[in-house]
Amino acid sequence: MNKTLKLSVADIKIIFRDPSLKSFVFLPILLFALIIWGVPPLVEKYDLLTPYLSLFLVVAVIENTQMFCFISTMALIDEKETDIAKVYGVVPLTKTEYIFSRFLIPYLFTVLLNVIMFTVQPLFEISFGTGILISCLAALVVPVYVLSINSIAQNRMQGMVYVKAFNMLVLIPITAFFVPENIKHLFSVFPTHWIFQSIENVTMGKDMTLVFGVGLVVFIILIWLTSRLFIKRHFV
Amino acid sequence: MIQVENLNFTYPKNDTSTLKGLNFEIAKEEVFGFLGPSGAGKSTAQKVLYKILRNYQGSVKIKGKNLSEWGKEYFEKIGVGFELPNHYLRLTGKENLDLFASFYQSGERKNLSSLFEMVDLTDAMNKPVETYSKGMKMRLNFIRAIQHNPDILFFDEPTSGLDPVNAYKIKQHILDLKSQGKTIFVTTHSMETADNICDRVAFIVNGKIQATDTPQNLKSDYGKEAVKVELEKGFIKEFPLSKLGENPDFLSFLGQGEVKRIHTLEATLEEVFIKVTGQSLKA
Repeated sequence: MNKTLKLSVADIKIIFRDPSLKSFVFLPILLFALIIWGVPPLVEKYDLLTPYLSLFLVVAVIENTQMFCFISTMALIDEKETDIAKVYGVVPLTKTEYIFSRFLIPYLFTVLLNVIMFTVQPLFEISFGTGILISCLAALVVPVYVLSINSIAQNRMQGMVYVKAFNMLVLIPITAFFVPENIKHLFSVFPTHWIFQSIENVTMGKDMTLVFGVGLVVFIILIWLTSRLFIKRHFV
Repeated sequence: MIQVENLNFTYPKNDTSTLKGLNFEIAKEEVFGFLGPSGAGKSTAQKVLYKILRNYQGSVKIKGKNLSEWGKEYFEKIGVGFELPNHYLRLTGKENLDLFASFYQSGERKNLSSLFEMVDLTDAMNKPVETYSKGMKMRLNFIRAIQHNPDILFFDEPTSGLDPVNAYKIKQHILDLKSQGKTIFVTTHSMETADNICDRVAFIVNGKIQATDTPQNLKSDYGKEAVKVELEKGFIKEFPLSKLGENPDFLSFLGQGEVKRIHTLEATLEEVFIKVTGQSLKA
């Protein structure tokens, strides 16, 4: 446990000593402000937005999630570029311990941000427990996103290109909100679809058990697959 | 301590093998060096030994146990000094060492202050590594490799990027580690480093070992056991080393005038390398 904590604390130090990464940590505050004070008057003024209220919440949740996706991606790419990754290949730390350490804080922090988001948003009445469940599911995007990019990108430049592409992939299932009900699950190939649908079901007062369960399984499988790929490529 | 038999390794996307049937042993309290030009396979061999590269063929035994049978406890016993500095630039030198030390359970960690003092980094200990010069980062690499007091040490170009004074100090520290009973595997293309610190060296070219012996034996075998005497007058003559003090020609030659210089005709390690392999170390 000491190993995990030391590495997690080191990660926080690295983030807060890097001005470009540090600035990202303050973005959620802006997001909270927009959801609390920006969206309600907007919807009040433009009535046509009312059917898409849940979409605002979906975007807010995924943007919260993407903050640590970006920070952790850059931190790990930096580690690869500076060859520190090689050092982790020759220390008595299993690759599973390494991955767990690297994602413990980003995951918990992302869960916390989304729990706050569900609590402070004035758009829907969502129970605290449901908020926690969806936040836990949504935060699983972080390891999948970061491990995937770090398995294929060799340097910061490539990393930035993949970040752009992955940000688009993460948001594509939003399209499901604009298509007929019977074809919306065509977007289920994109893992974030299951998070979006969970949120939509909750905001519409429907049961989210099935979509939440499928999402959880999809993310667990993806984490396992991307971890294997990452382990093969990161430490050499 | 380390026994390697018929080691072959091919990188996944390569057609040809990088290592071709390597055989060598490294004993406890021995400094063994791989000498060879860039791309010869030196670092690849080390990477196999510290388990970064796994799909090798042949037998590698560490302390009598197959390398593949060692779990993560293997990394408690080894220390690796990489060729290039690799540290968290935004952390201080001390934070970097503390972080990596936390992964070890051995509890035999060396005193941090004395490690920094050993490589003249005491003043920089609490400064971010991004303010270090390359030489300072290399010295930090060195102490990170030894801080958990491992039995086996791998150093890849340990004097690379260091000024002559610090290169000398690092070589002395390596010899100190040897005297403490450590097994040390060095790869270098610096024949001076190999000559200074290695008990035995292996010449490696294109993934094959061409010769293995002590630097002294290699130099003797491929050089002349003779001295060359040069007088101020410009006369130059060679004399065999055997019974040199009783050689009347030598004594008479010395009496012919002031001696400008006398030197042995032993080959340098680089000359031996070129003779054995037909290649230059600077390739």
